[in-house]
Amino acid sequence: MTDKGSADAVEIERIVDAPAALVWQMWTDPEHFKAWYGPDGATIPVAKMDVRVGGTRLVCMEVQTPNGPMRMWFTGEYREVVENERLIYTESISDENGHVPAPSDMGMPEGHPTTTEVRVELRDIGGRTKMVMTHVGIPHDSPGAAGWAMALGKLTAYIAAYSDR
Amino acid sequence: MTATIDEDRLSETFAALANSTRRAILARLAEGGATVNELAEPFEMTLPAISKHIKVLERAGLVVRGQRAQYRPCALDPAPLEEVSAWAERYRPVWEARFDRMDDYLKQIQATKGR
Repeated sequence: MTDKGSADAVEIERIVDAPAALVWQMWTDPEHFKAWYGPDGATIPVAKMDVRVGGTRLVCMEVQTPNGPMRMWFTGEYREVVENERLIYTESISDENGHVPAPSDMGMPEGHPTTTEVRVELRDIGGRTKMVMTHVGIPHDSPGAAGWAMALGKLTAYIAAYSDR
Repeated sequence: MTATIDEDRLSETFAALANSTRRAILARLAEGGATVNELAEPFEMTLPAISKHIKVLERAGLVVRGQRAQYRPCALDPAPLEEVSAWAERYRPVWEARFDRMDDYLKQIQATKGR
């Protein structure tokens, strides 16, 4: 098991049978990205990616429902772009113009994390690539993130102790 | 850990946690039960203000209060936090499936390139 457990993040490590430069394109070239990102039975009709720090992304996922196709939009911003090595971007549910609704508009209380962060790290290992993807529920540079991390760390330890009882 | 996640309850948990005073209260309670007076001690806040925070934590199910008439000591209930953890975990199968498709796709394009 190479997956690290954390209260607010999913980390997945994979060895991909392709050079890092090609795996990088899987994430940053819209045509490649569209080919694998959507769940089975879904398509990615739109993937706009301005891959540079501060650049925005807009992705549309279309799924078939009994009532016809349903489109979901996601927007975000690139935080770190180191070609073939490291990519960090945020992701929020949006409309087709990339407008992110306030938590209250979606019927959620203030403070609900509506933005998540995806980090991809690639390392060449002789023609193959070690890929580590971390999807964080609470972006670490958001206000109060340090407090969150601390509180969750302590509380996770507590939960572990509690579960043993 | 519950198989399905109650979205409303999860929202309430996140809202309750999105406040440094309330997180400090939870961290204190992680060390053991305490009365409202004890919880208020480290803060420069009035008792009613602290009580208000505790009520928010109570509504979110993070704090339970004893029934002993006057003191009603507070204790931490970590169940909602386990759901926060489950919230992150439910993305795992989504990503695993995506990466399986990435593998297939890479095989396909590398084969057609005839490497």
